[in-house]
Amino acid sequence: MDADTPQNLTDVQIVAKTLVDKQFFGEIVDRYEAKLKRYIARLGVRNPDDQLDVLQEVFLKVYKNLNAFDRSLQFSSWIYRIAHNEAISWYRKKNVRPEGHLIADSEELIGFLSAKEDAQDADFDKTINASEVNQALLKIDAKYCEVIILRFFEHKDYEEISDILKIPVGSVGTLLHRGKKQLADELNSEAIRM
Amino acid sequence: MNEKNPHPQKNLKNTLLDRIEREKLQPRSRMFFHSKECVIWALWLISVAVGALAVAISVFVVTHRQYEIYEATHENWFTFMVEVLPFIWVFVFCAMALFAVYNIKHTKKGYRYSVSTILASSIVLSFAGGSALQFFGLGYSIDAILGNQMPIYMSQVKIERQLWQQPEEGRLIGKQVATTVATSSIIIFEDGAGSRWRVEVQELAPKDMTLLASGINVRMLGETMSDPAKIFHACGVLPWMMHKGVTAQQMSDQRESFLQRANQVAQKTENSIADLEKELFIEDGAIDEQTKPICANIAAMRRISNRD
Repeated sequence: MDADTPQNLTDVQIVAKTLVDKQFFGEIVDRYEAKLKRYIARLGVRNPDDQLDVLQEVFLKVYKNLNAFDRSLQFSSWIYRIAHNEAISWYRKKNVRPEGHLIADSEELIGFLSAKEDAQDADFDKTINASEVNQALLKIDAKYCEVIILRFFEHKDYEEISDILKIPVGSVGTLLHRGKKQLADELNSEAIRM
Repeated sequence: MNEKNPHPQKNLKNTLLDRIEREKLQPRSRMFFHSKECVIWALWLISVAVGALAVAISVFVVTHRQYEIYEATHENWFTFMVEVLPFIWVFVFCAMALFAVYNIKHTKKGYRYSVSTILASSIVLSFAGGSALQFFGLGYSIDAILGNQMPIYMSQVKIERQLWQQPEEGRLIGKQVATTVATSSIIIFEDGAGSRWRVEVQELAPKDMTLLASGINVRMLGETMSDPAKIFHACGVLPWMMHKGVTAQQMSDQRESFLQRANQVAQKTENSIADLEKELFIEDGAIDEQTKPICANIAAMRRISNRD
Protein backbone atom coordinates (compact mmCIF):
# COMPACT_ATOMS: atom_id res chain seq x y z
CA MET A 1 0.00 0.00 0.00
CA ASP A 2 1.15 3.53 -0.70
CA ALA A 3 2.77 5.03 2.35
CA ASP A 4 0.97 8.32 1.71
CA THR A 5 -2.54 6.88 1.68
CA PRO A 6 -4.64 8.28 4.54
CA GLN A 7 -4.81 4.85 6.19
CA ASN A 8 -1.04 4.85 6.66
CA LEU A 9 -0.84 8.30 8.21
CA THR A 10 -0.77 8.94 11.93
CA ASP A 11 -3.61 10.87 13.59
CA VAL A 12 -1.42 13.93 13.88
CA GLN A 13 -0.54 13.76 10.17
CA ILE A 14 -4.21 13.41 9.27
CA VAL A 15 -5.03 16.48 11.39
CA ALA A 16 -2.33 18.47 9.59
CA LYS A 17 -3.65 17.35 6.19
CA THR A 18 -7.27 18.09 7.16
CA LEU A 19 -6.31 21.66 7.89
CA VAL A 20 -5.21 21.93 4.26
CA ASP A 21 -7.84 19.69 2.63
CA LYS A 22 -11.11 19.01 4.47
CA GLN A 23 -11.61 15.68 2.62
CA PHE A 24 -8.99 14.14 4.92
CA PHE A 25 -11.43 14.68 7.79
CA GLY A 26 -13.30 11.65 6.49
CA GLU A 27 -10.36 9.52 7.63
CA ILE A 28 -10.72 10.82 11.19
CA VAL A 29 -14.41 9.91 11.08
CA ASP A 30 -13.56 6.44 9.75
CA ARG A 31 -11.02 5.85 12.48
CA TYR A 32 -13.06 7.03 15.43
CA GLU A 33 -16.75 6.60 14.55
CA ALA A 34 -17.10 3.09 15.93
CA LYS A 35 -14.90 3.70 18.98
CA LEU A 36 -16.71 6.89 19.95
CA LYS A 37 -20.11 5.38 19.31
CA ARG A 38 -19.25 2.56 21.67
CA TYR A 39 -17.86 5.02 24.19
CA ILE A 40 -20.91 7.30 24.26
CA ALA A 41 -23.11 4.22 24.45
CA ARG A 42 -21.13 3.12 27.49
CA LEU A 43 -21.60 6.55 28.95
CA GLY A 44 -25.34 5.95 28.72
CA VAL A 45 -26.52 7.33 25.38
CA ARG A 46 -28.30 4.17 24.30
CA ASN A 47 -30.78 5.29 21.66
CA PRO A 48 -29.20 4.93 18.12
CA ASP A 49 -30.70 8.21 16.93
CA ASP A 50 -29.36 10.04 19.96
CA GLN A 51 -25.99 8.38 19.44
CA LEU A 52 -25.90 9.66 15.87
CA ASP A 53 -26.81 13.19 16.96
CA VAL A 54 -24.14 13.19 19.62
CA LEU A 55 -21.55 11.73 17.24
CA GLN A 56 -22.30 14.37 14.62
CA GLU A 57 -21.84 17.13 17.18
CA VAL A 58 -18.62 15.52 18.38
CA PHE A 59 -17.10 15.37 14.91
CA LEU A 60 -18.24 18.88 14.01
CA LYS A 61 -16.64 20.18 17.20
CA VAL A 62 -13.48 18.24 16.38
CA TYR A 63 -13.40 19.80 12.93
CA LYS A 64 -14.05 23.35 14.13
CA ASN A 65 -11.45 23.04 16.89
CA LEU A 66 -8.73 21.19 15.01
CA ASN A 67 -6.34 24.07 15.64
CA ALA A 68 -6.90 23.70 19.37
CA PHE A 69 -5.49 20.17 19.32
CA ASP A 70 -2.32 20.12 21.37
CA ARG A 71 0.10 17.87 19.53
CA SER A 72 1.84 16.95 22.75
CA LEU A 73 -1.30 14.98 23.64
CA GLN A 74 -2.59 11.87 21.95
CA PHE A 75 -5.23 12.70 19.37
CA SER A 76 -7.40 9.88 20.70
CA SER A 77 -7.40 11.45 24.18
CA TRP A 78 -8.44 14.77 22.71
CA ILE A 79 -11.28 13.34 20.64
CA TYR A 80 -12.47 11.16 23.56
CA ARG A 81 -12.53 14.30 25.70
CA ILE A 82 -14.78 16.04 23.19
CA ALA A 83 -17.01 12.97 23.02
CA HIS A 84 -17.19 12.79 26.79
CA ASN A 85 -18.11 16.47 27.10
CA GLU A 86 -20.66 16.18 24.34
CA ALA A 87 -22.32 13.17 25.98
CA ILE A 88 -22.49 15.04 29.28
CA SER A 89 -23.98 18.14 27.68
CA TRP A 90 -26.45 15.92 25.83
CA TYR A 91 -27.71 14.63 29.21
CA ARG A 92 -27.93 18.17 30.51
CA LYS A 93 -29.73 19.46 27.44
CA LYS A 94 -32.21 16.61 27.54
CA ASN A 95 -32.34 16.79 31.32
CA VAL A 96 -32.02 13.01 31.61
CA ARG A 97 -29.86 10.53 33.44
CA PRO A 98 -27.70 7.99 31.58
CA GLU A 99 -29.92 5.27 30.19
CA GLY A 100 -27.86 2.48 31.69
CA HIS A 101 -24.32 1.61 30.76
CA LEU A 102 -23.67 -0.73 27.90
CA ILE A 103 -21.49 -3.27 29.62
CA ALA A 104 -21.49 -6.45 27.63
CA ASP A 105 -18.10 -7.64 28.78
CA SER A 106 -18.53 -7.40 32.52
CA GLU A 107 -16.31 -10.45 33.08
CA GLU A 108 -13.43 -8.21 32.27
CA LEU A 109 -14.42 -5.73 34.95
CA ILE A 110 -15.04 -8.51 37.44
CA GLY A 111 -11.58 -9.80 36.61
CA PHE A 112 -10.09 -6.40 37.31
CA LEU A 113 -12.10 -5.93 40.44
CA SER A 114 -11.10 -9.26 41.87
CA ALA A 115 -7.45 -8.93 40.84
CA LYS A 116 -5.05 -9.73 43.65
CA GLU A 117 -4.11 -6.12 44.35
CA ASP A 118 -7.72 -5.16 44.82
CA ALA A 119 -8.92 -8.30 46.56
CA GLN A 120 -9.38 -6.59 49.90
CA ASP A 121 -11.68 -4.03 48.32
CA ALA A 122 -13.58 -6.29 45.98
CA ASP A 123 -14.59 -9.31 47.92
CA PHE A 124 -17.80 -10.28 46.17
CA ASP A 125 -19.48 -13.12 44.40
CA LYS A 126 -18.02 -13.68 40.94
CA THR A 127 -21.20 -15.11 39.52
CA ILE A 128 -22.81 -11.72 38.94
CA ASN A 129 -23.81 -11.01 35.37
CA ALA A 130 -23.53 -8.07 32.99
CA SER A 131 -26.95 -6.70 33.80
CA GLU A 132 -26.07 -6.56 37.51
CA VAL A 133 -22.87 -4.67 36.70
CA ASN A 134 -24.90 -2.28 34.55
CA GLN A 135 -27.32 -1.71 37.42
CA ALA A 136 -24.48 -1.22 39.88
CA LEU A 137 -22.69 1.23 37.55
CA LEU A 138 -25.86 3.31 37.38
CA LYS A 139 -25.92 3.57 41.15
CA ILE A 140 -22.34 4.63 41.78
CA ASP A 141 -21.23 8.27 41.48
CA ALA A 142 -20.88 9.49 37.89
CA LYS A 143 -17.26 10.57 38.48
CA TYR A 144 -16.31 6.98 39.42
CA CYS A 145 -18.35 5.47 36.63
CA GLU A 146 -16.61 7.61 33.97
CA VAL A 147 -13.15 6.52 35.14
CA ILE A 148 -14.14 2.86 35.36
CA ILE A 149 -15.53 2.91 31.83
CA LEU A 150 -12.39 4.52 30.42
CA ARG A 151 -10.04 2.21 32.31
CA PHE A 152 -11.77 -1.15 32.01
CA PHE A 153 -13.79 -0.85 28.81
CA GLU A 154 -11.89 1.66 26.70
CA HIS A 155 -8.56 0.34 28.04
CA LYS A 156 -7.09 3.79 28.49
CA ASP A 157 -4.04 4.26 30.66
CA TYR A 158 -3.97 6.72 33.56
CA GLU A 159 -2.39 9.51 31.54
CA GLU A 160 -4.95 9.18 28.77
CA ILE A 161 -7.79 9.18 31.30
CA SER A 162 -6.24 12.26 32.87
CA ASP A 163 -6.21 13.97 29.45
CA ILE A 164 -9.75 12.90 28.58
CA LEU A 165 -11.38 13.88 31.86
CA LYS A 166 -9.01 16.82 32.46
CA ILE A 167 -8.06 15.74 35.95
CA PRO A 168 -4.60 15.13 37.47
CA VAL A 169 -3.13 11.64 36.98
CA GLY A 170 -3.10 11.19 40.76
CA SER A 171 -6.82 11.85 40.90
CA VAL A 172 -7.40 9.16 38.26
CA GLY A 173 -5.84 6.58 40.59
CA THR A 174 -7.86 7.82 43.53
CA LEU A 175 -11.14 7.86 41.62
CA LEU A 176 -10.49 4.44 40.21
CA HIS A 177 -9.72 2.97 43.61
CA ARG A 178 -12.80 4.51 45.21
CA GLY A 179 -14.93 3.66 42.18
CA LYS A 180 -13.98 -0.01 42.32
CA LYS A 181 -14.73 -0.09 46.02
CA GLN A 182 -18.10 1.60 45.54
CA LEU A 183 -18.93 -0.73 42.66
CA ALA A 184 -17.94 -3.78 44.70
CA ASP A 185 -20.07 -2.56 47.62
CA GLU A 186 -22.97 -1.99 45.27
CA LEU A 187 -22.62 -5.45 43.75
CA ASN A 188 -22.38 -7.00 47.21
CA SER A 189 -25.49 -5.24 48.42
CA GLU A 190 -27.30 -6.33 45.27
CA ALA A 191 -26.24 -9.93 45.96
CA ILE A 192 -27.52 -9.66 49.55
CA ARG A 193 -30.87 -8.28 48.36
CA MET A 194 -31.21 -11.13 45.91
CA MET B 1 -32.42 13.75 9.85
CA ASN B 2 -32.51 10.09 10.78
CA GLU B 3 -35.74 9.49 8.89
CA LYS B 4 -33.94 10.41 5.66
CA ASN B 5 -31.14 8.11 6.56
CA PRO B 6 -32.11 4.53 7.49
CA HIS B 7 -28.46 3.49 8.08
CA PRO B 8 -26.97 6.58 9.68
CA GLN B 9 -23.78 4.95 10.89
CA LYS B 10 -22.79 3.97 7.35
CA ASN B 11 -23.15 7.52 6.08
CA LEU B 12 -21.89 9.58 8.97
CA LYS B 13 -18.70 10.50 7.13
CA ASN B 14 -20.56 11.71 4.04
CA THR B 15 -23.20 13.49 6.11
CA LEU B 16 -20.49 15.36 7.99
CA LEU B 17 -18.48 16.26 4.91
CA ASP B 18 -21.67 17.46 3.19
CA ARG B 19 -22.59 19.55 6.16
CA ILE B 20 -19.11 21.04 6.38
CA GLU B 21 -19.34 21.91 2.67
CA ARG B 22 -22.91 23.19 2.79
CA GLU B 23 -22.47 25.32 5.91
CA LYS B 24 -18.99 26.40 4.75
CA LEU B 25 -17.56 25.38 8.12
CA GLN B 26 -13.91 26.13 8.73
CA PRO B 27 -11.64 25.21 11.61
CA ARG B 28 -11.22 28.18 13.95
CA SER B 29 -7.85 29.86 13.45
CA ARG B 30 -4.84 28.88 15.48
CA MET B 31 -4.55 32.53 16.49
CA PHE B 32 -7.98 32.33 18.17
CA PHE B 33 -6.87 29.51 20.47
CA HIS B 34 -3.45 31.02 20.98
CA SER B 35 -5.00 34.37 22.00
CA LYS B 36 -7.39 32.60 24.37
CA GLU B 37 -4.47 30.83 26.03
CA CYS B 38 -2.53 34.10 26.25
CA VAL B 39 -5.48 35.88 27.88
CA ILE B 40 -5.77 33.12 30.49
CA TRP B 41 -2.05 33.30 31.26
CA ALA B 42 -2.22 37.10 31.40
CA LEU B 43 -5.09 36.90 33.89
CA TRP B 44 -3.04 34.44 35.94
CA LEU B 45 -0.09 36.83 35.87
CA ILE B 46 -2.34 39.70 36.97
CA SER B 47 -3.75 37.63 39.81
CA VAL B 48 -0.25 36.72 41.01
CA ALA B 49 0.87 40.36 40.66
CA VAL B 50 -2.11 41.70 42.63
CA GLY B 51 -1.50 38.91 45.15
CA ALA B 52 2.13 40.07 45.39
CA LEU B 53 0.93 43.62 45.98
CA ALA B 54 -1.35 42.41 48.76
CA VAL B 55 1.59 40.54 50.29
CA ALA B 56 3.86 43.60 49.96
CA ILE B 57 1.38 45.80 51.84
CA SER B 58 0.70 43.10 54.45
CA VAL B 59 4.44 42.53 54.97
CA PHE B 60 4.94 46.26 55.33
CA VAL B 61 2.17 46.46 57.95
CA VAL B 62 3.34 43.45 59.92
CA THR B 63 7.05 44.38 59.92
CA HIS B 64 6.25 47.98 60.70
CA ARG B 65 3.59 47.46 63.31
CA GLN B 66 5.23 44.70 65.33
CA TYR B 67 7.49 47.28 67.00
CA GLU B 68 4.75 49.83 67.52
CA ILE B 69 4.11 51.23 71.01
CA TYR B 70 0.77 49.46 71.05
CA GLU B 71 0.46 50.03 74.80
CA ALA B 72 -0.11 53.72 74.10
CA THR B 73 -3.25 53.15 72.08
CA HIS B 74 -4.61 49.71 72.99
CA GLU B 75 -5.06 47.40 75.95
CA ASN B 76 -2.93 44.69 74.34
CA TRP B 77 -1.05 43.71 71.19
CA PHE B 78 -3.91 41.58 69.89
CA THR B 79 -6.52 44.36 69.89
CA PHE B 80 -3.94 46.66 68.33
CA MET B 81 -3.18 44.25 65.48
CA VAL B 82 -6.88 43.63 64.85
CA GLU B 83 -7.28 47.36 64.29
CA VAL B 84 -4.26 47.92 62.07
CA LEU B 85 -4.05 44.68 60.05
CA PRO B 86 -5.02 45.27 56.42
CA PHE B 87 -7.86 42.72 56.26
CA ILE B 88 -8.93 44.01 52.86
CA TRP B 89 -5.51 42.99 51.50
CA VAL B 90 -5.66 39.61 53.20
CA PHE B 91 -9.01 39.12 51.49
CA VAL B 92 -7.59 40.34 48.15
CA PHE B 93 -4.67 37.94 48.52
CA CYS B 94 -6.98 34.96 49.16
CA ALA B 95 -9.25 35.97 46.26
CA MET B 96 -6.27 36.33 43.91
CA ALA B 97 -4.85 32.96 44.95
CA LEU B 98 -8.19 31.32 44.08
CA PHE B 99 -8.40 33.29 40.83
CA ALA B 100 -4.88 32.11 39.94
CA VAL B 101 -5.97 28.50 40.50
CA TYR B 102 -9.05 29.07 38.33
CA ASN B 103 -6.91 30.51 35.53
CA ILE B 104 -4.27 27.80 35.58
CA LYS B 105 -6.98 25.14 35.61
CA HIS B 106 -8.32 26.70 32.39
CA THR B 107 -5.01 26.63 30.53
CA LYS B 108 -4.38 23.82 28.08
CA LYS B 109 -2.51 21.62 30.52
CA GLY B 110 -3.65 23.12 33.80
CA TYR B 111 -5.82 20.11 34.61
CA ARG B 112 -2.70 18.01 35.06
CA TYR B 113 -1.84 19.76 38.29
CA SER B 114 -3.73 19.38 41.52
CA VAL B 115 -5.45 22.39 43.08
CA SER B 116 -3.09 22.21 46.06
CA THR B 117 0.00 22.30 43.81
CA ILE B 118 -1.30 25.28 41.84
CA LEU B 119 -2.46 27.06 44.99
CA ALA B 120 0.88 26.49 46.72
CA SER B 121 2.90 27.67 43.70
CA SER B 122 0.73 30.78 43.25
CA ILE B 123 1.06 31.62 46.95
CA VAL B 124 4.85 31.10 46.85
CA LEU B 125 5.13 33.31 43.75
CA SER B 126 2.96 36.01 45.33
CA PHE B 127 5.04 35.90 48.51
CA ALA B 128 8.30 36.08 46.56
CA GLY B 129 6.98 38.96 44.44
CA GLY B 130 5.49 40.69 47.46
CA SER B 131 8.71 40.45 49.44
CA ALA B 132 10.63 41.85 46.48
CA LEU B 133 8.17 44.74 46.12
CA GLN B 134 8.37 45.49 49.82
CA PHE B 135 12.18 45.37 49.62
CA PHE B 136 11.92 48.38 47.29
CA GLY B 137 9.41 50.09 49.59
CA LEU B 138 6.46 49.62 47.26
CA GLY B 139 4.23 48.19 49.98
CA TYR B 140 4.22 51.52 51.78
CA SER B 141 4.05 53.60 48.59
CA ILE B 142 1.06 51.82 47.09
CA ASP B 143 -0.80 51.85 50.39
CA ALA B 144 -0.14 55.58 50.73
CA ILE B 145 -1.09 56.34 47.09
CA LEU B 146 -4.35 54.42 47.44
CA GLY B 147 -5.02 56.29 50.69
CA ASN B 148 -4.49 59.62 48.93
CA GLN B 149 -6.58 58.75 45.90
CA MET B 150 -9.49 56.96 47.59
CA PRO B 151 -11.17 58.66 50.56
CA ILE B 152 -12.74 55.35 51.58
CA TYR B 153 -9.41 53.47 51.68
CA MET B 154 -7.80 53.42 55.11
CA SER B 155 -4.06 53.50 54.47
CA GLN B 156 -1.65 52.91 57.33
CA VAL B 157 -0.84 56.63 57.36
CA LYS B 158 -4.54 57.41 57.85
CA ILE B 159 -4.88 54.74 60.55
CA GLU B 160 -1.81 56.09 62.33
CA ARG B 161 -3.17 59.65 62.19
CA GLN B 162 -6.55 58.47 63.45
CA LEU B 163 -4.91 56.58 66.32
CA TRP B 164 -2.71 59.46 67.44
CA GLN B 165 -4.75 62.59 66.75
CA GLN B 166 -6.96 61.95 69.80
CA PRO B 167 -6.50 64.80 72.32
CA GLU B 168 -9.28 63.53 74.56
CA GLU B 169 -7.43 60.19 74.78
CA GLY B 170 -4.15 61.93 75.56
CA ARG B 171 -2.52 61.53 72.15
CA LEU B 172 -1.40 64.17 69.69
CA ILE B 173 0.56 64.24 66.47
CA GLY B 174 2.28 67.31 65.13
CA LYS B 175 5.42 69.33 65.83
CA GLN B 176 6.83 71.97 68.09
CA VAL B 177 6.41 75.35 66.42
CA ALA B 178 7.59 77.71 69.13
CA THR B 179 9.00 77.89 72.62
CA THR B 180 7.93 80.09 75.48
CA VAL B 181 10.19 82.02 77.78
CA ALA B 182 10.24 79.00 80.07
CA THR B 183 11.36 76.46 77.42
CA SER B 184 11.90 73.76 80.03
CA SER B 185 8.27 73.82 81.13
CA ILE B 186 6.01 74.91 78.22
CA ILE B 187 6.28 74.78 74.44
CA ILE B 188 3.84 75.61 71.59
CA PHE B 189 2.79 72.56 69.58
CA GLU B 190 0.73 72.42 66.40
CA ASP B 191 -1.27 69.21 66.04
CA GLY B 192 -2.37 67.30 62.93
CA ALA B 193 -5.65 69.21 62.80
CA GLY B 194 -3.84 72.56 62.79
CA SER B 195 -4.69 73.50 66.41
CA ARG B 196 -2.02 75.06 68.59
CA TRP B 197 -1.47 73.69 72.09
CA ARG B 198 0.47 74.93 75.11
CA VAL B 199 2.28 71.78 76.11
CA GLU B 200 3.66 71.27 79.62
CA VAL B 201 6.94 69.40 79.26
CA GLN B 202 8.25 69.24 82.85
CA GLU B 203 7.94 65.45 83.04
CA LEU B 204 9.60 64.73 79.69
CA ALA B 205 12.97 63.00 79.53
CA PRO B 206 15.86 64.93 77.92
CA LYS B 207 15.67 62.74 74.81
CA ASP B 208 11.97 63.57 74.39
CA MET B 209 12.85 67.26 74.63
CA THR B 210 15.54 66.84 71.97
CA LEU B 211 13.03 65.16 69.67
CA LEU B 212 10.55 68.00 70.12
CA ALA B 213 13.18 70.66 69.62
CA SER B 214 14.28 69.07 66.33
CA GLY B 215 11.01 70.31 64.79
CA ILE B 216 10.16 66.99 63.15
CA ASN B 217 6.71 65.44 63.21
CA VAL B 218 6.21 63.53 66.43
CA ARG B 219 3.59 61.59 68.35
CA MET B 220 2.97 62.82 71.84
CA LEU B 221 1.51 60.90 74.74
CA GLY B 222 0.11 62.68 77.81
CA GLU B 223 -3.10 64.20 79.06
CA THR B 224 -5.30 67.07 77.92
CA MET B 225 -5.56 69.47 80.86
CA SER B 226 -8.00 71.81 79.13
CA ASP B 227 -9.38 71.30 75.65
CA PRO B 228 -10.91 74.77 75.21
CA ALA B 229 -7.73 76.39 76.45
CA LYS B 230 -5.61 73.85 74.50
CA ILE B 231 -3.34 72.89 77.35
CA PHE B 232 -1.69 69.47 77.19
CA HIS B 233 0.61 67.75 79.68
CA ALA B 234 3.24 65.69 77.82
CA CYS B 235 4.55 62.38 79.21
CA GLY B 236 6.39 60.93 76.25
CA VAL B 237 7.41 61.80 72.69
CA LEU B 238 7.92 59.46 69.74
CA PRO B 239 9.06 60.32 66.25
CA TRP B 240 6.47 59.97 63.44
CA MET B 241 7.69 56.79 61.77
CA MET B 242 5.03 56.11 59.19
CA HIS B 243 7.12 56.75 56.11
CA LYS B 244 8.88 54.79 53.42
CA GLY B 245 12.49 54.70 54.59
CA VAL B 246 11.88 53.42 58.12
CA THR B 247 13.37 49.99 58.80
CA ALA B 248 12.20 47.37 61.26
CA GLN B 249 15.49 47.86 63.14
CA GLN B 250 14.83 51.60 63.56
CA MET B 251 11.31 50.84 64.77
CA SER B 252 12.65 48.31 67.23
CA ASP B 253 15.30 50.74 68.51
CA GLN B 254 12.70 53.49 68.95
CA ARG B 255 10.43 51.14 70.87
CA GLU B 256 13.23 50.00 73.18
CA SER B 257 14.38 53.55 73.78
CA PHE B 258 10.86 54.80 74.52
CA LEU B 259 10.12 51.93 76.92
CA GLN B 260 13.39 52.66 78.70
CA ARG B 261 12.51 56.36 79.05
CA ALA B 262 9.01 55.55 80.27
CA ASN B 263 10.45 53.19 82.87
CA GLN B 264 12.95 55.79 84.00
CA VAL B 265 10.18 58.38 84.40
CA ALA B 266 8.06 55.87 86.33
CA GLN B 267 11.00 54.88 88.53
CA LYS B 268 11.82 58.52 89.19
CA THR B 269 8.20 59.17 90.17
CA GLU B 270 8.15 56.19 92.52
CA ASN B 271 11.40 57.28 94.14
CA SER B 272 10.19 60.84 94.63
CA ILE B 273 6.95 59.60 96.21
CA ALA B 274 8.91 57.30 98.52
CA ASP B 275 11.20 60.20 99.47
CA LEU B 276 8.18 62.38 100.16
CA GLU B 277 6.60 59.68 102.32
CA LYS B 278 9.84 59.38 104.30
CA GLU B 279 10.07 63.13 104.72
CA LEU B 280 6.50 63.33 105.96
CA PHE B 281 6.84 60.17 108.12
CA ILE B 282 3.74 58.57 106.58
CA GLU B 283 3.05 54.96 105.53
CA ASP B 284 3.81 53.50 102.09
CA GLY B 285 0.93 54.26 99.68
CA ALA B 286 -0.52 56.92 101.93
CA ILE B 287 -0.10 59.55 99.22
CA ASP B 288 -3.20 59.32 97.07
CA GLU B 289 -3.29 59.15 93.27
CA GLN B 290 -4.40 62.78 92.94
CA THR B 291 -1.25 64.12 94.46
CA LYS B 292 1.09 61.96 92.35
CA PRO B 293 2.65 63.46 89.19
CA ILE B 294 0.23 63.44 86.23
CA CYS B 295 2.15 60.93 84.07
CA ALA B 296 2.11 58.32 86.85
CA ASN B 297 -1.69 58.28 86.64
CA ILE B 298 -2.06 57.88 82.91
CA ALA B 299 -3.21 54.35 82.02
CA ALA B 300 -1.13 54.20 78.86
CA MET B 301 2.03 55.19 80.72
CA ARG B 302 1.34 52.59 83.39
CA ARG B 303 0.90 49.93 80.69
CA ILE B 304 4.11 51.02 78.97
CA SER B 305 6.12 50.95 82.20
CA ASN B 306 4.54 47.61 83.21
CA ARG B 307 3.05 49.06 86.35
CA ASP B 308 -0.54 48.05 85.67
